[in-house]
Amino acid sequence: MTTTATSTVTAAQEADRAPVVSFRQVSKSYGAVRAVADLNMELHPGETVALLGPNGAGKSSTLDLLLGLRGADAGTVTLFGTTPQRAIEQGRVGAMLQSGGLMEGVKVRELVKLARDLHPRGYPLDEVLATAGITEIADRMVDKLSGGQEQRVRFALATAGANDLIVLDEPTTGMDVTARQTFWGAMRKQAQQGRTVLFATHYLEEADAIADRVIVLHRGRVLADGTAAEIKARAGARRVTFDLDEPVDHAALQGLPHLTSLTVSHSGSAAGSGRTVRIQSQDADATVHAVYRLGLYPHNLEVSGLGLEQAFIALTTASDQSSATAEEAAR
Amino acid sequence: MTTLIKLEIVRALRNKKFMFFSVIYPPALYLIIAGGADSTPIPGMKLNMGLYFMVSMAAFGAMTAVLLGNSERIAKEREKGWVRQLRLTALPGRGYVAAKMAAAATVSLPSIVLVMLAAAVVKGVRLEAWQWLAIAAGTWLGSFVFAALGVAIGYLATGDAVRPIAMLIYFGLAFLGGLWMPLTILPQWVQNIAEWLPTHAYTALGTAVEAGGAPHVKDIAILAGYLVLFAGGAAWLYRKDTRRA
Repeated sequence: MTTTATSTVTAAQEADRAPVVSFRQVSKSYGAVRAVADLNMELHPGETVALLGPNGAGKSSTLDLLLGLRGADAGTVTLFGTTPQRAIEQGRVGAMLQSGGLMEGVKVRELVKLARDLHPRGYPLDEVLATAGITEIADRMVDKLSGGQEQRVRFALATAGANDLIVLDEPTTGMDVTARQTFWGAMRKQAQQGRTVLFATHYLEEADAIADRVIVLHRGRVLADGTAAEIKARAGARRVTFDLDEPVDHAALQGLPHLTSLTVSHSGSAAGSGRTVRIQSQDADATVHAVYRLGLYPHNLEVSGLGLEQAFIALTTASDQSSATAEEAAR
Repeated sequence: MTTLIKLEIVRALRNKKFMFFSVIYPPALYLIIAGGADSTPIPGMKLNMGLYFMVSMAAFGAMTAVLLGNSERIAKEREKGWVRQLRLTALPGRGYVAAKMAAAATVSLPSIVLVMLAAAVVKGVRLEAWQWLAIAAGTWLGSFVFAALGVAIGYLATGDAVRPIAMLIYFGLAFLGGLWMPLTILPQWVQNIAEWLPTHAYTALGTAVEAGGAPHVKDIAILAGYLVLFAGGAAWLYRKDTRRA
């Protein structure tokens, strides 16, 4: 980041420009398990960011550190240039946690009113209920809700006041498709009002469709950070598949331009020497062009886009392989 | 913060089963213990059984409601993750402790009044109006000390451990504080320890009034000290609690 601070910039303006979230060399271990390892991350105002990663990648630990629910072993976590605790006390952060329970023995309306009243800049109660889509269940007891309804109540608690940052941990777990769509509709409205939104998810379509930035976590580190399109590109954005009748020259195929992965297998249809070639390429046009230039005659040529899911798997397995190689080399 | 306090009180009142037993238990115990006693003074004291146990059972009842109720409920709320969610609001630590104490006090007040009513109606205890009021107020305000202790225990212990720990502290304090039997019939060394316990200071407020005087400054100071200690400790534990549990 290059900021040229001139003397006309006041301290307040400087604070406004501070990143919403900043992780510097943050580590956290539980016993021998390193949940977060030297994590560096910055979120900027107005971004909608998806935190993506397989189970055990450190997503929940990262959110816990971000919200000050746990302390880091090393490094610093700041929100709006201050500590997580202070930012929360100032009502700048709304959060919806997977592990966050609800108060029992009260009505939905009473609980949401509590969240609203505790917030320094709380919204009108009916508005909060309507935004979260829980107006109809407002008079029900909290103990008698379904999983999806509970999630919506949690969402109401997280958005009961004017926050600058909203943090959501697997927010749509337990919701059906319609509820999920309504939920993201409400979330988009929050983002349009200039809020920074950070959500952890394992639904890759959600990250692809909603986030303008995706951070892939793996083994407690940032593995990739960029738009969904960039992440896909990094993993080899397109998949090229074709069948070959002639014997395959592996070395020649390996030398194709923009290639990120190559697998060759016996094709089911053609008997004998028939092979199916599967390629991941960052520039499918150039790769296919080169296939023809090799003098090959591919059949059943297919070029398809790679989903974020495949990109994600490609990235994490590549990382696992390279760390395995590094471990072997260390022996 | 006032919303949380109100909501906790509403919840406490809605929990009818807990309310019923907390309210009925102390006067019932009072009638069992002091019911058959005559009006001869207890050895070493100016008060008779009816008077002595009115104060100690009111205190015992209030303590049951606030200490056991609070500690178990808080440990449960921590397990469920509600406390975690609450920590993500602007609520300060003292707000949580204050709300829990207020809810506990709502339950303890009727039990105190009922014990005094049972004493007046069944045992024919007669006191000046100011004495009735002073005893009720003192016993009620004193129960805040144990409510705070309940919050602190709810934070120190988790899940299955909370009940035995709370019980141990509860019975220990009740016995050593002279809630079940006058301390004057116990050995001197027990009395020496008891003098500094919150439960002893707690009943001493009421018995001093019954004897016709004002509560001793020393007892009030002891209770105030414990209140600061327990409430401060509870608020600190609330903010510090980073375990997921």
